[in-house]
Formats: sequence, structure tokens, C-alpha cells
Amino acid sequence: MQLASQHNHRAIKPADRLKLAALALLAVLLLASIGYQAAQTGREYMLVLSVFATRFLGIFVEAVPFLLLGSITSGLIEIFIKSDDIMRFLPRNRLGAAIGGAFLGLVFPVCECGVVPVARRLFKKGSPISLGVAFLLAAPFMNPIVFASTYIAFGFGPVFIGRIIVTILVAVIVGFVIGSFAQRRAVLKPISLGGGHDEGGHCDHEPPSTRAKLMGALGIAGDEFFEMGRFLIFGSILAALMQTLVPQESLLALGTGPVLSVVFMQILAYVLSVCSTVDSFLALAFVNTFTTGAIVSFLSFGPMVDIKSTLMFTGVFRRRIVLYLILLPFVMNLLAGAMVNLLLGYS
Amino acid sequence: MMAAREKQKSQFELVAWIKSLILFGMGIYLTLLLATGNLSNYINQRFAWLVVVGALLFFVLALINLVSSIKPAERAHKHHHYHITWDMLLVVAFPLLLAIAIPSRSLGIEAVNGGVSLSPVGIASVSRNPLDRNILDWLREFDRAPTPAQFNGSPVDVVGFVYREPLHPEDGFMIARFTMSCCVADAFPIGMPVMAAGGEEYTAGDWLRVRGQLKATAFGADFLPVVFADAIEPVDEPRQPYLYP
Repeated sequence: MQLASQHNHRAIKPADRLKLAALALLAVLLLASIGYQAAQTGREYMLVLSVFATRFLGIFVEAVPFLLLGSITSGLIEIFIKSDDIMRFLPRNRLGAAIGGAFLGLVFPVCECGVVPVARRLFKKGSPISLGVAFLLAAPFMNPIVFASTYIAFGFGPVFIGRIIVTILVAVIVGFVIGSFAQRRAVLKPISLGGGHDEGGHCDHEPPSTRAKLMGALGIAGDEFFEMGRFLIFGSILAALMQTLVPQESLLALGTGPVLSVVFMQILAYVLSVCSTVDSFLALAFVNTFTTGAIVSFLSFGPMVDIKSTLMFTGVFRRRIVLYLILLPFVMNLLAGAMVNLLLGYS
Repeated sequence: MMAAREKQKSQFELVAWIKSLILFGMGIYLTLLLATGNLSNYINQRFAWLVVVGALLFFVLALINLVSSIKPAERAHKHHHYHITWDMLLVVAFPLLLAIAIPSRSLGIEAVNGGVSLSPVGIASVSRNPLDRNILDWLREFDRAPTPAQFNGSPVDVVGFVYREPLHPEDGFMIARFTMSCCVADAFPIGMPVMAAGGEEYTAGDWLRVRGQLKATAFGADFLPVVFADAIEPVDEPRQPYLYP
């Protein structure tokens, strides 16, 4: 594939043409679904389109600084941190690596928009699967900003403590399970494999200066932004479209009871795709309507997986693994949420 | 063979130029949002500093990308980690294209998708002078009060847009605002019921300043404090269209 494309000199390669055609088709589908909504509600087409544009650009503008910070962190790791360094400080066995991964977010403070490029860089550097997956799931919550926002919103109570415990437990278990039962090649897409060597390491000439290294890191960050940015954009389009098409009330009318409320809040977290740094304030809106377990699950499941991070996952993992990365945390958070409700005596 | 090589090189350079262009464009777009104040259509002003950081980072990345595509010496050090393709460029340019094609607007009546809520959002606020309270403050007060009748006679002065439902009485409507904690992803419409002589004349979506007094009454299917308007005047959309919980 790589060879074939190198021998092809036309301005736009056939494979790219197919992709461009697919993009055109998606654009038509997008415009058509907005037309459908306009017809359903009897509103003007341009008005519905501008609602979609506002929702999409809002999500994008809020998320893109975090993606940039994540891309730059990824570039810096690539240039300045050697694979050996990472491995030296982390436990070698799977469970230990998973636990280490869950707490690694304290070192790399990134939210869910920034975590994927960093996780992929760790994989390229040869990080064990269990470590990378646990990091991916836990890091968006395991950082000082999110601790602070959760504390401000809920104080030191069942929601705050529940969020910490459930996030760590689910991240460690899912990391351990995926790391144990699947081969590296079956988990990662070829682009994230990297083989554990340092890509910058095969220069024959003298070692570059710090300035050149920094330039290199930022150059990689720019590429990373284009590579991961498209998934963020696809995800933001889906989230904005969902919010434009599906009435909020029809969601709220669902789910009461100790289990259904948790299911519902998790689906809501997935669909809304709100950033982990502020989801606590959003969750406050539901405190009166939903059980405590549902709030805890909303807050621990949301940062792990949502529409836009799912799209970003597909740039790192093979498709089957992406499915597991959604379903395993979903089921485990559901159990945890139902357990919290049981402990607190909801019926 | 040489010619083919040249062609591939020039294609690579073209991609590099477009990359720089998009990165610069993003930086300029964020800067314009800050400069025009249109940013308040999209995210909570609390997070404006994030957009400043974003714009600066975009400019830095664009500059670095530009320098390394001009200077061959720098390029020799640059290992191609990803093959940046046309479809990637197009997708990443999408937000810019959308921002150019569609004029910036805040979420208004058209964005209400399935009703306006009568319940407040967020943490309890401090009680302020009744005339300073906005719609969100009032809903919080109502939420805390043991009985709707407690507010009878309180003066009200709020700004919002008109929202109607078939269930509403003829001369009644709701005065509504979107709340926003973070960005429009969590925007949520809330509102207070209003009764006014000639209330049926106001068009849904119009921005109004409503002054009047509260009185607990049946409105639609609810029994709750309703604004009985003394004075209603049309106003421009506020510079900060959303209420921040």
C-alpha cells in the first residue's frame, strides 16, 4: 500500500479520491438530516443550520485548546522522553502497569480531548497495553483541574469519593483485561505500534541542539493535530447533530429507578460529550432528577468514552477493541452506579 | 523518474503550505472570536483565556510548520510520522469553512428542542435585590421556597426571549434564556411564565424586557409564580446571550 502510493504521481491518489467522495457523501447526509429536522419542526432551513453551526463550533472551540495541549505533550514526549525512561519507572507486570497507568494522569494532566494523542505516543514508545488503556480511561479525570471542579460542584461527599473510586477501579480492570487477553497487534492499529524504538533515534549526524529538538517536537505536534483533529471534528459534528435533532425532554422522560437512571445518565454522558473539566457543573443540573449512583456513573463514564473520543479511539485501536473500550467501561460503570444506589438505599 | 520525484516533492510542499494556512486560519478565527465578542455565542466567558492559549499555540505551530517547510535543513530532521492526506486537510478545515459560510449566532428560540424548563440549573446563588435577579436567579429562589405564594407581590425585571407552547393561555407566554456552564454542548433553556394584556402580540423568539409583579397562579398544567407584566419593551439580544450558572 505504502509502496504503491509512492509510485503514484498523480495529484490526488485513487485511495484519496475515494475518501474525498466519502466525505462529500457525509456532507450531503449532514445537510439532508438538517433539512429533515427543519421540515419536522416547520422551521427555516438556514435557522436550523445555524443552530447546528453554533453547537458544533461551540464544542470545537472549547475542546480545541485541550487537543493542542495534548498534541504538544505528545510531541514533547516523542522527542524528550526515551522509551526506556518510561518503562524504568513503571511496574512490569500487567496489573502493576494498569495501576500505574491509572495514576499516570497526575503526571500528564490532559483531558479527554488531549489524552488520545498522549496515549498513542506512549504505545509507540512501547508502553504495555494495560498501562496505555488504563491511562486512556483514567487520565481525563485523574488531574488536579477535574478534582477541583468536582469538589467545587459536589463537595467532599459520596459523588466526589465515588467518582475517584469508580474511575480507578474501572480503568485498572479494563486495562488489565484488554492487556491480558489480546495480542499487541490485535489491539493497536499499525500506526500506533511503533515497535518500541525512538523514531528520532536513527539520525546518524551529531545530536541536535535543544532548540532544534523543541522545533522537532512542535513539528510533530502540528502533524498530530491534523491526525487527531479530524476525529475530534467528526465527533463534534455527531454530538452537535444529536443535540440539534433529539429533543432533550424525550431523553429526560426516560430512566428512573436505581438501574435505569444509571443507564440513562451514561447514555447521556456518551451523547453530550462534555469536557471532563466542566462535566461536574453540568451534572448538577440533574441532581434533583436522578439518583446519586446515576450521577457518579455519569461523571466516571463520561470522561472515559463519549462520541468524540470514540472517533479518536478509532485512530489508535482496531475496531473490535474500540467496541470493547466502550462496552466494558459501560457495563462496569453501570454495575458500580447500581451498587452506589444500593448502598445509599435507593429503591 | 526525476520528474516524478520533483512532482512528489512539490505535492509534499503544497500540503505543507496548506497545513500552515489552516493552522494560521484557526489562530485568526479564535482571535476574531475574542476581538468581536462573538465568543460569548459559543462558550462561557470564564474560559476565554483557554481560547487565548489556543490562538497562541496555533500561531506557534503554524510558524514552526512554515519554517520547516521553507528551510530544507530543518526538514532533513523532520521525520514523516504521518502521511497527511487531502481528506485530513479538508476535515480539519471544516470548522473554518463553516465559520466563514454561516454568520455567527447565539442559540435562540430555534434551538429549543423539546420544551423550556421551569427548574433551575447549577449551584444555589445568593439572594439579591429582586430587581437585579435574572431568570435563573428567580427559578432558584422558587426552587428553594416552600410555597409558590411566598413571592406574591415581588417586583420582577428580567430580559429573555419569548417562548410559546400550545398549552399556554392566550395572553401568556414564557420569557426564556439558555443557561450555559461550559459551552453550548450543555446549553439548556429555562424560563418564567408571563401574563400580559395583549401578550399574544409578541412573536416567539423576540427579545423582551419584562417588568411586573409575581403572583402564584395556574399556568398551563402547573401552579407556580407567574409574572404579571406592567411594562414590556422590545430589546436587542444581550451581549451575553446566555446565563451562567
